[in-house]
Amino acid sequence: MVEAYGNAQGPTVPAISGVPCADPLGDPFLRTRFALPSRPATFLRRRRLVDHLDQALRTPLTLVNGVAGAGKTLLAADWAAGLRQPVAWLTVEAGDRRPGVFWAYVLQALRACGTGAVGSPVDAAGVDRRLLAALATELNDRDRPVVLVLDEYDRVTAPEVAEQLEYVLHHAGQGLHLVLVTRTEPLLPLHRYRAAGELTEIRAAELAFTPDEAVELLELHGLSLSVPAARALVDRTRGWAAGLRLSALAARESADPEVYLKEFEADRSTVADFLLAEVLKEQTEETQDLLLRVSVLERFCPDLANALTHRSDAHPILAGLHRDNTFVEHLGHSWYQLHPLFGEILRAHLRERLPGLEPELHRRAARWLRRSGFLPETLVHGAAAGDWDCAAGALVDDLAIGQLFTGLRSADLAQLFSRMGSEARSPATDLVRAARALSRHDLDHGLSRLRRAEERLADDAPDLAAARLSCALLEALAARLTGCPPRAERAAEAADGLRQHVEAHLLDEHPELTALLLTHLGSVRLWAGRFEDARAALTTVVDTPAGSCTALPREESLGHLALLDYLNGWLGRAERKALAAVSEAERAGSPQPSGSGIGRLVLAAVAVDRHELGRAQALLDETARFPPGRPDPVPAAGRALATARLLLVRGRARAAVEAAGPAVSAAVASPWAAGHEALVASAAHLAEGRPDEAAQVLQDVSGDQPACAVEAAAIQLAAGHPREAVDLLDSIRNEGRNGPAVTVRAALVRAQVAEDAGDAVAARRLVAQALLDARRERLRRPFLDAGGWIRPLLATPALHELAAGWLTPGPPRRDDRTVPESLPPLLVAVELSGREHDVLERLARLMSTEEIAADLYVSVNTVKTHLKSVYRKLAVNRRSDAVRRARDLRLL
Amino acid sequence: MRYEIRVEGHLSETLAKAFPELDHVVMSGQTVLFGPVVDEAHLYGLLARCQSLGLRVMEMRQLPE
Repeated sequence: MVEAYGNAQGPTVPAISGVPCADPLGDPFLRTRFALPSRPATFLRRRRLVDHLDQALRTPLTLVNGVAGAGKTLLAADWAAGLRQPVAWLTVEAGDRRPGVFWAYVLQALRACGTGAVGSPVDAAGVDRRLLAALATELNDRDRPVVLVLDEYDRVTAPEVAEQLEYVLHHAGQGLHLVLVTRTEPLLPLHRYRAAGELTEIRAAELAFTPDEAVELLELHGLSLSVPAARALVDRTRGWAAGLRLSALAARESADPEVYLKEFEADRSTVADFLLAEVLKEQTEETQDLLLRVSVLERFCPDLANALTHRSDAHPILAGLHRDNTFVEHLGHSWYQLHPLFGEILRAHLRERLPGLEPELHRRAARWLRRSGFLPETLVHGAAAGDWDCAAGALVDDLAIGQLFTGLRSADLAQLFSRMGSEARSPATDLVRAARALSRHDLDHGLSRLRRAEERLADDAPDLAAARLSCALLEALAARLTGCPPRAERAAEAADGLRQHVEAHLLDEHPELTALLLTHLGSVRLWAGRFEDARAALTTVVDTPAGSCTALPREESLGHLALLDYLNGWLGRAERKALAAVSEAERAGSPQPSGSGIGRLVLAAVAVDRHELGRAQALLDETARFPPGRPDPVPAAGRALATARLLLVRGRARAAVEAAGPAVSAAVASPWAAGHEALVASAAHLAEGRPDEAAQVLQDVSGDQPACAVEAAAIQLAAGHPREAVDLLDSIRNEGRNGPAVTVRAALVRAQVAEDAGDAVAARRLVAQALLDARRERLRRPFLDAGGWIRPLLATPALHELAAGWLTPGPPRRDDRTVPESLPPLLVAVELSGREHDVLERLARLMSTEEIAADLYVSVNTVKTHLKSVYRKLAVNRRSDAVRRARDLRLL
Repeated sequence: MRYEIRVEGHLSETLAKAFPELDHVVMSGQTVLFGPVVDEAHLYGLLARCQSLGLRVMEMRQLPE
């Protein structure tokens, strides 16, 4: 069952075979948290409790509730070990208090027994309801229910976790038996479960040992006691397992155990306090010293204990303590932990006996853990010791600085380092300071700290490669925020050179570092109008494997690529990528738009071009909450573009001009951002009756920016300058990358010029071409903007057919000749379920069955079932017919 | 606000140090911890501390200022 898990440099930690290696947070101790705790030789199985706990298989919820040291965990572990059903075990830790982290671990625990393959949250602060719904559905579909045991559940303090657990429990039906092992009552509506007979409850009174059980327990510790004597001891300890265990240990050391216990009964000290002091007193000086010192640690191995004592005797001491069942529990592979209750009391003793030593112990632990490659623990102890050089150094050397920006741990890391004062002066601490400032878009502080770090990392020592690679990442982000392409290129080049100097496994473990860097590089290239270079960098990011730490850069890169397609005039492509960006965030379980929200901005801009103004407004409102600090140039410009175009269409020219200028100060100007700003200003002049000013503003717009040039040409024409309009169109470089939004507008300008010149045939031909190109993309704006001349043309039979149904109202359905094959009429009104509608909507986006399944977190078969029922309701047999009919019925 | 917390048994001087912010007095089979409590969070924290040290809380009440 237990196998070795080799660490590159350090000692091994226990592992459970069958548990997937991918750990959501890279915690090397994770496996011990999924393992059933082992029962010591002195564990007493109590039939009455096991029988009661068997009821858990008949109720959705089970509560094992009792004070520390009441024997809850061992009872549950012993019971679970004997089950035939699959059991998922998770020992909750204090760091799991954020819902996203909690669920990441629960899903991982479930995955270990073959379920919960629904994805993983990426945002520590929360989890998307859809992820939980998918989990519940999956559990509900299971033939064999899963028993999920959450030990130490009292460490979960967030009320929303209880609410989320209840949701999953409710919707998982018979598929889940949840067992909560906890010191405090969970925030679930227990009364309701109790009233419905859906709760199995084992509480403190039932966990308490009876005198007969106490006799048996003490026998396992080598003490034989009469039942009356045991009854007195049970009275004194209230049947508390930890109290009984300690009294056995204390009595065993005394000359006459029975007399000793009598005296203990008469004593009025608090039980654990007194007994622990008694047992501790009996240990050798070295053992006492070791126990006090390791009380600052969650887990320890002999080598780590030696680092705290500066001796070398931990191995025999710990083995002896474990053999005697005194204080320590064995986790396997030489790792131990103190029973939480004893650890707490020992810490009180440490503070008294070795006052002031705690920070030093944390410091020694941090140094040892760092040497041995345990990053999260290093950070915790480094912070506890106030040893920020060590904590920041570990983060940077481990190439983990990107985790301050992305991934489940980012909020915890930010909080941990927020306690760092200004006294720590190492380059690594400056890098962490710079990263935290830049993540808030605080350029002043970020840049000064980054510069300070760079000055001190100037020499080429190979052991500084990780720190200099971290610098490159921050440089790229600074370049992005300041709109400075050369700076980003230098950073990317430096990173390329540095990668070979860091250990390959670090790069593999931290894909977010490169993904973030390339996203920043792509963003600044896009800003500067270098679309193809931007695409190269961003595509690399999109191709990196999905994961909680790469979800943010992947989402941002998809959003940037969507903007790029939009700027080239490809609405459909832009929409697909933007939807992928949005769903990347949703798939990852993020409850709100993360990152810059650029995907939604592109969707809004596409909606404006399609004249879907309500949708555009709704999308813009969703992204209204921008992070504070200096705006990120590309998303800010994207937002300005979409907002201004929407305002223009709504006839609010002044407001559009105000919105068009993004409040961005960048090192270089962005040709497309400037072009669109000029367009909006020009259109506003035109709308307000100043054609000359309108033409004046457009002077700098050239064919290098096709999307701007075609709209500029339209304005020139409207302002009475047909020659300039045609010249502008002729100057457009056509490299085959201009999409319909460009070609349609260009064709319409040429059509109007032809129309004005009296060439009706050419005008009609050009409009027909424009309609054909625009129809697929539902690109309506150019026709609505074209002016009055186009209306008579659209009314001609040939063009009317091309425009009907999407641009102009279609003819009555009975005579609908534009539909190549007529569909049989429907007999009843169609009502689709929410899920069927979801599937149909994705069908209309040309997604495959598999893609729809992945997008909705359901199985392929479920999608097929929904499809069948959609076909039946719409009386069709094919996808394309279903989409067409749904459009006709305004279901889409 | 000021509170007192009565726990069962006589608390050792060592363990009482786990509550550095409170005074304590041992009386008739109980230990009374008393002193200023900053807010609710502190109060619940004190209760949790009692629990994690294996102490049995008999009574807890707010004291008049």
